[in-house]
Amino acid sequence: MSKKTPKESFLTISVYLTGYSQVDLLGTGMLDTYYNTFVENLEIENVTTYFKEVDQILDNSGNSEEKINEGITKVLFGSALVSLTTNLITMWYTGNWGQDVISPESYTQGLIWNAAQAHPPGAKQPGYGSWADEPIEIPTI
Amino acid sequence: MNDHEYDVVIVGSGIAGSVLTKTLTQAGKKVLLLEAGLQAGIAFDAEKNFQNYQYYLNTFYKAGAKVPNSPYPNIEDAQSINVLDIEKITPENKPTTNGYLVQEGPLPFASDCLRGPGGTTLHWLGSTPRMLPNDFRMKTEYGVGVDWPITYDELKPYYEMAENEIGISGDVEDQKVPEKVVGDKTIYYNVDRTYGKDYVFPMKKIPQSYLDKVCMNRSKGLKVELNKVVYDIVYSSTPQGRNSIPDPRYKLTGITWDQRAKKLVLHRKDDYEYQPVGSNWDPYTGQRCEGNASCVPICPVQAKYNALKTLRKSDPEYLAIITQAVASRIFYDKGSNDITGIEYKKYKYADSTVFETKVAKGKIYVLAASAIENAKILLASGIANSSDQVGRNLMDHFVMLTWGLLPEKGFPYRGPGSTTNISTFRDGTFRKEHSAWISPIDNWGWAWPTFAPGTDLSNALSEGMFGKKLRAHLNDVITRQLLLHFECEQIPDPNNRVTIDPKYKDQLGNYRPVIQYQSTEYMNKAMEAAKKVSDQIFKAYGVEDFTDYTMKNADAVKYNGKVYNFWGAGHIVGTHRMGSSKEHSVVNPDQRTWDHDNLYLVGCGNMPTIGTSNPTLTMTALSFKAAESILKQLEKNEDHGSTFSKKQFETT
Repeated sequence: MSKKTPKESFLTISVYLTGYSQVDLLGTGMLDTYYNTFVENLEIENVTTYFKEVDQILDNSGNSEEKINEGITKVLFGSALVSLTTNLITMWYTGNWGQDVISPESYTQGLIWNAAQAHPPGAKQPGYGSWADEPIEIPTI
Repeated sequence: MNDHEYDVVIVGSGIAGSVLTKTLTQAGKKVLLLEAGLQAGIAFDAEKNFQNYQYYLNTFYKAGAKVPNSPYPNIEDAQSINVLDIEKITPENKPTTNGYLVQEGPLPFASDCLRGPGGTTLHWLGSTPRMLPNDFRMKTEYGVGVDWPITYDELKPYYEMAENEIGISGDVEDQKVPEKVVGDKTIYYNVDRTYGKDYVFPMKKIPQSYLDKVCMNRSKGLKVELNKVVYDIVYSSTPQGRNSIPDPRYKLTGITWDQRAKKLVLHRKDDYEYQPVGSNWDPYTGQRCEGNASCVPICPVQAKYNALKTLRKSDPEYLAIITQAVASRIFYDKGSNDITGIEYKKYKYADSTVFETKVAKGKIYVLAASAIENAKILLASGIANSSDQVGRNLMDHFVMLTWGLLPEKGFPYRGPGSTTNISTFRDGTFRKEHSAWISPIDNWGWAWPTFAPGTDLSNALSEGMFGKKLRAHLNDVITRQLLLHFECEQIPDPNNRVTIDPKYKDQLGNYRPVIQYQSTEYMNKAMEAAKKVSDQIFKAYGVEDFTDYTMKNADAVKYNGKVYNFWGAGHIVGTHRMGSSKEHSVVNPDQRTWDHDNLYLVGCGNMPTIGTSNPTLTMTALSFKAAESILKQLEKNEDHGSTFSKKQFETT
């Protein structure tokens, strides 16, 4: 049995769903907001089901990334849970829940801009003339 | 208040209205400025100004669709056009009445503007190429459109004023653009002649993007063929109204009214150093473009010029501003045809249906409320229209977009919207057959046509991608996106027009603009030609073409069996054009209406043709010309004894 809290499970599975490390995800400062948004937008029984499935994937994987990915594809991208899963990933990548921007902060913390080696338009500006060169690579964990 | 409390009543605080307000008050003329938008947006107090702007910025962050007007309040009492309201027009749904405009079609007009303090300069991109000398004589050179009543050379001193006022960053040498091809030789405009020997912009050019360099490197010496003529692909850095490093060679200090010479003078001082104009809340913020990559719709640090920077330079002793005041009608004396007042409706607060109707009075009146709004107010008042040209000749650039994936990373979504343009087709004898166009390289990926990168994410998710694979896929795709614009010049067409209809009014009882808009063979042919050129450029770049045009798009035309889509450029031009005769135009070269001696119109509505330039710079030059004419007229009257005392008066 997993001793993780649902929020810990949320964070751990988010690492595998987004392709970003725990440090990257925590670095956005959005974990609490996103976890709360996820839970608040779901019926309680769906929350329970989702985290039960997540914990099963994590607990039965023996820490094998390959096995976790298999579980994600099979269960979290299965017809019952796929929309929740894509909403969860979209939230980390764009700061949106569905079509709605969760908050001004969530927009500026969207990971899609990191993936694009850019920055959210209107925030985290890289400075005068930066656009004339290749983006600077900041190594992440 | 007596009938002549003010020298000049100005409607609208956009760039045209602000240039006039600044110039006239600095010359000691009393100005009443009416602004339809909210009081908060005009705040001269630094703290309030900052707070209001942060509100705009947070509204932008929070907006689901980050369209040009998304950061700004859209007040029911003075609605702005919103591009999200544009829909396809069919025989069944016409006219479409979503939002502010009533669109009769057959094609929807796809550009917006902002009704509020500072006007559309709050969300403009800031590109400021001058028009080319041949743009002013389209009829003579190419047999299409009309000639301007003034030449490029006559407008040149006012261009210099506009470039000083906006604060342009650019490289004059790069404005050596092709004029025509003769045999196998390209003839270029000579910048020593068009700009003047040794002329420089106030600031050095905004650095061209990494993406620009990728494109230029992949197409060195590229020639394209169009209708059996071979053209050199020529790249020009784009002059723009955003702050960069001051050019020490720039010695033009500012513009004042020379009372004795009766003209505006742009002063020169040899030991002068240009200082970039920072934000409206703090002069040390926004001294340089910081690369926010959000110029449209909002520059967070105001390194990009906006009209409120000019308005703040007005002499407060001579300025009264009334906000939340929507001009509705203009009164005139039926004997003399002189304007006697502007009726406005002052609403209590945003969206309120409670308002007071008042009349503003001055010696001279100026409409600076945008091309569409100016025309609408004139039509509602039944004035200035002996030529029957009011509202007609509505123009925009048809922006045909082409997009694809580069074979290498160009790293878009960084820097100002565009820093380089392909200037090859800005002029040439082909204009006898089809439109000219300017082709900016877009620094913001596929955002405009496909809503990327959000759609790249949703597409990948729908394919079941997640985790490291998703992240790598997005990195691969988004960093290689390329978008080119082909901004095609629209020719004046009397049937493209703004009208009014008593059936369509807003909640204050003011008319909503009714638009009729169509494409012509001249435009369609240009899109066909532009796509052929795009194909050759993409081939040279090694770009995989993902351009997708469909009849489902709001603005779609079929030409020679192929579908083309175009988008609005936000360049709303031509609705009360200037000309050399009162039979064919609404204003004369002084920007004064032919029909009313004390009524001036300013803004892009005065432009007889649009050329291939973003119109703001040219319109600003014309606004300085209007200011000069107004000062001449006022002082001519004062010479006849009707001066009045200077006194401080309250700002409502």
